[in-house]
Amino acid sequence: MTSKQRRQLTEVLFLLPTIIAFIMVIIIPFIYGIFYSFTDWQGTGTYSKMVGFENYKVIFTEPAFLHSFLKTLEFTVINIITVNVVAFIISLLVTSEIRGRNVYRAGFFVPNLIGGIVLGLIWQFIFSSILPAVGQAIHWDLLSKSLLTSKDTVMFTMVTVNTWQYAGYIMLIYVAAIQNISKSVLEAAEVDGAKYWTRITRIQIPLMANAFTISLFLTLTNSFKMYDVNVALTNGGPVGVFMNKPVQSSELLALNIYQTAFKYNNMAQGQAKAVLFFVVLTVFSIIQVSYNKSKEVEA
Amino acid sequence: MKKLIALVLSLALCMMAASVLADIVICQNKVEITAAMQDFAKLYTEKTGVGVKVITGGGSSDYNTVLKAEMASGREPDIWVIEGPTGYELWKDKIADMTGEEWTKYTAAAYMDGDKVVGFPVAVEGYGLAYNADILAKAGIDPKTLTNVDAYKAAFEKLDSMKSELGLDMVVSMVAGTVPGMTWVTGLHNFNVYLTLGNARNDTTYIDQVLAGKVDEARFHEYCQYVDLLFKYSTQDMLLNGTQDAQLAAFANGKAAFYHQGNWMDPSLVQLNPSFEIAYAPHAFLHEDTDGILVNPPSWYVVNANGNKDEAIAYLNYLATSEDGADYMVNKAAMVPAFTNVTLTPSTPLSKSVMEWNAAGKTYDWQQYKLPDGFGMGTLGPIYELLAQQAIDVDTFEIMMKDAIAGIAK
Repeated sequence: MTSKQRRQLTEVLFLLPTIIAFIMVIIIPFIYGIFYSFTDWQGTGTYSKMVGFENYKVIFTEPAFLHSFLKTLEFTVINIITVNVVAFIISLLVTSEIRGRNVYRAGFFVPNLIGGIVLGLIWQFIFSSILPAVGQAIHWDLLSKSLLTSKDTVMFTMVTVNTWQYAGYIMLIYVAAIQNISKSVLEAAEVDGAKYWTRITRIQIPLMANAFTISLFLTLTNSFKMYDVNVALTNGGPVGVFMNKPVQSSELLALNIYQTAFKYNNMAQGQAKAVLFFVVLTVFSIIQVSYNKSKEVEA
Repeated sequence: MKKLIALVLSLALCMMAASVLADIVICQNKVEITAAMQDFAKLYTEKTGVGVKVITGGGSSDYNTVLKAEMASGREPDIWVIEGPTGYELWKDKIADMTGEEWTKYTAAAYMDGDKVVGFPVAVEGYGLAYNADILAKAGIDPKTLTNVDAYKAAFEKLDSMKSELGLDMVVSMVAGTVPGMTWVTGLHNFNVYLTLGNARNDTTYIDQVLAGKVDEARFHEYCQYVDLLFKYSTQDMLLNGTQDAQLAAFANGKAAFYHQGNWMDPSLVQLNPSFEIAYAPHAFLHEDTDGILVNPPSWYVVNANGNKDEAIAYLNYLATSEDGADYMVNKAAMVPAFTNVTLTPSTPLSKSVMEWNAAGKTYDWQQYKLPDGFGMGTLGPIYELLAQQAIDVDTFEIMMKDAIAGIAK
């Protein structure tokens, strides 16, 4: 055995534990999952027969699923915008010369350390008890009823909570990117008379393009997969009507899949939805990343 | 010195192991009795040395989901709760046969599969419309007359007109919201009123129809009107936003005359020290008289045949036959035991009322658990909420309900 071969063998051996773990917990369940989506599996014991694309056909005619799909897209678009705008603004704030900026940095980041379920329940209390009490005291109609019980405002509550939780995390990525921009470029611009706004739009944002790629990717996948806050804050409610059927007006895709599989005990159909969910999310992410990559520049 | 450290360390390890390891794992669905159950488990451990761990799912979280997750994770519980045929069919392969065990001698309410005894009745539970006797007396309403919907209509109207005088916020404390997770009250318990009220206990006419996608038109129409009546005399905020606690608080603090919940709320109710007499009136939604409340063992403990079977059965025997068990069921958990050897009577108001109706033989069956998985809470529940939102009127409600029921047969 030559030293090169030995080296290769060592590399393979070192990789082996990780590869085995990866195959066991990701690859095999994934293949099983795809397989079960073509059966009538109920979650206990084994399936009784293959049903082909029947599960997929059913989900495309199910109002609740189509509604969840549209709501997820709506939530994702709104949430990506609010999280990134808020994160960018506070990252500018905490990289400026203001006093106590380290305290702010920590403060904005802390909500991210709280688990989604806990956070959802805390905010549920705020929305259903505290805000209505305030609203009634100051006679403001919008607030005097719980925002969670109207289908027009429930999306707003989810975006608020998710932004509050997630903006601090995205802020850290922007802060790192802003600090990476060489001071000399900004100083040169200032000497040339560029205003604050111009420096942000013409120098900082283009030079931070790779941070946008990763931040948008993270918020896209995070919003699309939103589950914990959804279940704890709204539980999918309140009820609305879609295609003449009652649907849960804030039930996002992940929650819909979970309910199909566990509440209705319809594992195979839930699995079919999950496969579709994976395909859609993958396509969206690839489009987003390749678009953002094309905008990145080197300084 | 080294030896001492080793000794202390090993002692600490032993204690940790003792507290972590449990011989019997119980997965159950009653949030209200979790504390009482854990105390009883501790007592059992002290007396027998057998460790017991209690896992709870229920209330606003979904017990069946918790159980399925426990099963799927491979940490199968030794004892868990089934709520009827759906649960039994689902786990049939794992459930042990308990025919001839000591506890079976003292009850007629065990869950049977043919001649096999498979389920230990957790308790007998009942629900109707609980009422505040003081308020009814002040308004001059005799609760004994509340046996048909016309009597209810008149009573609700009268109470509604005297709200400020009686200090009421609403006549009926009722919940229907999906956000606080209360659709089981409407989609399961309230719907069961349609299924069984007025029928003999083993009569399955209406549930069989529903499972075939059909309803009895005239009866269903009256039922929908009754739902509308209950909702009309509650408040929209309570219906949509009310949690289990809020619903109870409104009644216990004298802000509502009626309360749509079962006697499982007793442990929480007595904590609020209601200062008035409480008892149940029937859910009489028909024009003709129906004098009875809805009583059933709502759930049964089953034992895992592949788990720690003998220890688990010994635990159940102790629960049913010992004085500690009786004390726990009646006094600590405020349940109405399904066992004839228990002579204690509950001191809490709702359970006491259930026991009285039960002793008088005026009861109707529970058949909501014969509905397919998720149907009551997930499919019917949202339609009740739409009615509560006033997004639809009662006629549309009736059409949508029928439409959803027709979907079962597909």
